[in-house]
Amino acid sequence: MSKFDYTKALVPSTPESREANLTKVFDLLASRLRIVIDPQEHCAKSAIVDRSLLHTAVTILRDTPELGFDLLLDIVGIDYLNYLDHQGPRFAVVYLFKSLKVSGQRFQLKVLVDEEDLVVPTISDLYSIADWAEREVYDQFGVRFEGHPNLKRLLNHFEFVGHPLRKDYPATKRQWLSTNDPMLDQLEARLKHNGFELLDPVPVNTPAVEDVIKGSRQ
Amino acid sequence: MSKAPNIPAVLPSDTNPLSFMSTSIDAVINWGRSNSMWPFPFATACCAIEFMSLMSARYDFARFGTEFMRFTPRQSDLLLVMGTVTYKQAPVLRRIYEQMASPRWVIAAGACASTGGFYDCYCTVPGIDQIIPVDVYIAGCPPRPEAYIEAAMQLQAKIKDESFMTDRLARLRDRGEDLPA
Repeated sequence: MSKFDYTKALVPSTPESREANLTKVFDLLASRLRIVIDPQEHCAKSAIVDRSLLHTAVTILRDTPELGFDLLLDIVGIDYLNYLDHQGPRFAVVYLFKSLKVSGQRFQLKVLVDEEDLVVPTISDLYSIADWAEREVYDQFGVRFEGHPNLKRLLNHFEFVGHPLRKDYPATKRQWLSTNDPMLDQLEARLKHNGFELLDPVPVNTPAVEDVIKGSRQ
Repeated sequence: MSKAPNIPAVLPSDTNPLSFMSTSIDAVINWGRSNSMWPFPFATACCAIEFMSLMSARYDFARFGTEFMRFTPRQSDLLLVMGTVTYKQAPVLRRIYEQMASPRWVIAAGACASTGGFYDCYCTVPGIDQIIPVDVYIAGCPPRPEAYIEAAMQLQAKIKDESFMTDRLARLRDRGEDLPA
């Protein structure tokens, strides 16, 4: 992480300064690796990067001292299945960063992934919050994050079949679940790490990856 | 079963020490049950905020015999479901209902618990009557405390209409015991 005195007041940003800063970030990234400005994104400028370069790009954003993107706001999945005039792969994973050093500075990084090969490298080793954010994207869209320490469902039940935010999942298709989901495995790992002995650990319920993939095809 | 009659009673007194009290067993049991309900709050959303005001001094739900909240289903006989129930929670709610001792009653408070409300989606149960039997539904989003009071009075009327012996026969028949009709 870059060393920075966060107690100092930031210079307030203007729309012009934000635009200039954003161009600076784009130029800096483009000088180090290959990025494309997303032509389909109209609301905010976002950079498309190949998934093999994602880890490098995020490292540059985080560790370059004058950028200071120390905060990962969210990781969002997009399903372009019913999108009008869409070209290219069906899915996208968007990473939203905010700078704590430059006032009002945000950045969007986008990775396009095909339905047949839904794998994206994890960035949970760079930002710890990416752990849960990636689990949510996996849960709702079925994107698998390579190298994630604990890739299982975050919001939905472990017996749930399919990925509900995909556009081909019927929005009102309900599923009966037979048992409660204890979700204590992370807490128990932490207790064990702190030297506590677990007398009655909760069983971990993990369905096979093949079942999850099969269920995701409606 | 016809509605139980009022309790005709001649109470023992100093002037009449040999007098006795005579009534039907249903009237006594239902009187006791309907005036001492022990609620268990299953509160998941904003309907429970109205319930807090219902329990406080202004509306004073204790007037209907629901004096104490019991936070274990094993000590309660009235399940108050207030708020949205998701499918992930459904096994938990079902288990809580199954832990309650009979006789037990359920009030579905508010639009979400009664019908799912406006959450018409993959994760919300469209009414808790999909999981457990419900005695009284309360409309509203959220319902006012007066609506809770009316539901309690309706439930009391319903309890007073029950028959201990008839229900007991049905319960024993369910258990498979061979009893004469």
